[in-house]
Amino acid sequence: MARIIVVTSGKGGVGKTTSSASFSTGLATRGHKTAVLDFDVGLRNLDLIMGCERRVVYDLINVINGEASLNQALIKDKHCDNLFILPASQTRDKDALSEEGVERVLHDLINMGFEYIICDSPAGIEHGALMALTFADEAIIVTNPEVSSVRDSDRILGIIQAKSRRAQTGAEPVKEHLLITRYSPKRVEADEMLSHEDVQEILRIPLIGIIPESESVLHASNQGNPAIHFKGTDVAEAYEDVVSRFLGQDVPLRFTAYEKPGLLQRIFGVK
Amino acid sequence: MPPNTPLPAIFTVECTGLRQPELFMPRSPSQLPIEIKISTVVAISTILHSSDPVAIDAALKQMTGGVSDFFEDEFAVIDIGAIAADTPRIDWQLLIDLLKKYRLNAVAVRGALPAMADAIRARGLSLDDGGTGKLTPRQDAEAPPAVSAAPAPIPAPAPAPLPAAATAVVTPGTMIIDTPVRAGQRIYARGCDLIITAVVNNGAEIIADGSIHVYAALNGRALAGASGNAEARIFALAMQPELVSIAGVYRTFDEGFPPELARQPAQIRLVGDRIDILSLSPASRA
Repeated sequence: MARIIVVTSGKGGVGKTTSSASFSTGLATRGHKTAVLDFDVGLRNLDLIMGCERRVVYDLINVINGEASLNQALIKDKHCDNLFILPASQTRDKDALSEEGVERVLHDLINMGFEYIICDSPAGIEHGALMALTFADEAIIVTNPEVSSVRDSDRILGIIQAKSRRAQTGAEPVKEHLLITRYSPKRVEADEMLSHEDVQEILRIPLIGIIPESESVLHASNQGNPAIHFKGTDVAEAYEDVVSRFLGQDVPLRFTAYEKPGLLQRIFGVK
Repeated sequence: MPPNTPLPAIFTVECTGLRQPELFMPRSPSQLPIEIKISTVVAISTILHSSDPVAIDAALKQMTGGVSDFFEDEFAVIDIGAIAADTPRIDWQLLIDLLKKYRLNAVAVRGALPAMADAIRARGLSLDDGGTGKLTPRQDAEAPPAVSAAPAPIPAPAPAPLPAAATAVVTPGTMIIDTPVRAGQRIYARGCDLIITAVVNNGAEIIADGSIHVYAALNGRALAGASGNAEARIFALAMQPELVSIAGVYRTFDEGFPPELARQPAQIRLVGDRIDILSLSPASRA
């Protein structure tokens, strides 16, 4: 049974698109046929992060308006045969996203045999964000460990519980997952950042992973490769753990404890 | 009539509706010829236990003790939930005229069967479904209809006690919420107490006409006694609200919640026109 997963946060710049790209790549590399949809109509970032911006011909709005077929608009990922990207339109107004249109596109994707459909939500709680979450079966709530991001995540959780199709029809509620990104154990230790326990205490939803703050995320987006491809980095490992947990494996939390550098490390800068 | 015989038709009176605290009244003047705003009005619920106009007339006469302006042209919601199933035919015009005689203006009917809808609309009355579901963010958070702590105004010269009226009015009502109340969500327990067993986060707003109990952290805004009950209180296991209000008297915590009470079990009540915070920790009560 296909699952529709919205990646959302309320607040901007917390790592929704980075997480959507790595999460969908992780699912696809493990053999699941996956589509990732950019709902950020007017801005369009996902294709840049996925490194396919020069191959965009048609977009989500074209498909909704019947100007292109899904097969024409879906872009096959350059690394992964199981992964397809449906970009957002940069030139259209976000009101072009109609509820019926979005439902039809998702329905067609399911009929094409996609197992996982990842909806990369825009920031905010307006139309685009609502359309991204309306049909979700599961939600990944991307949160930075600071108060405004946690507050916005709380808000978006309330909206999912009120406005999603599952909530409106009284079906089983949307399954919620908390993904904490840009986590710095050192700054948590210094009381400059909320700990993951603090964040969970407020949001009260199950934790699916913690992504450490890292330079490699910036490198990855500049290169147009999802961060999960940078094998050996803590960010890639952390995203692999997220995918494992999502698929039902029990994986211990990593990258949450701050280890003070030893004397030799401090002197020689060895890592 | 012997004092313990229930009256043939009993008429219970309660207040419904929220008198919004001043605080939330929008005040922007407008240049438009018409302005549309949500407004909550207080109405009298007239809960019928009989459809016999003679019996109702007798009960009303007894209740008002012959005082002609007992009701001052107030809005009335005719609640027929208790008799609708057994009384398929109701003479609406007769009922409206009867209420008007006692200066009650019927505006809506609550608890009507679908088959009655056309006849009710034809008399210019609205259909009220209880009006509780729309105010809450979740469908499972409906307030039980027709419960209120508002006492029935029984006039002094009433010749006999009104036993059925008394029991109908004191029916306890409680809205219970078991899921976290999140930023931007608003829960209103109309005419009853509100119990929440999960966290109330910053940016959430919980309102009750009665008291509020939170068996977790209360970090949002809490407004008890929203329709004027100054005896209402707010209880929480970990008290650190953004704002509290009882019967419209509010207090914010701009300079921070009192540190010795913050995140502790506490209750909040209205003493005169002052909001008091009292510890509920076992140590401080000993």
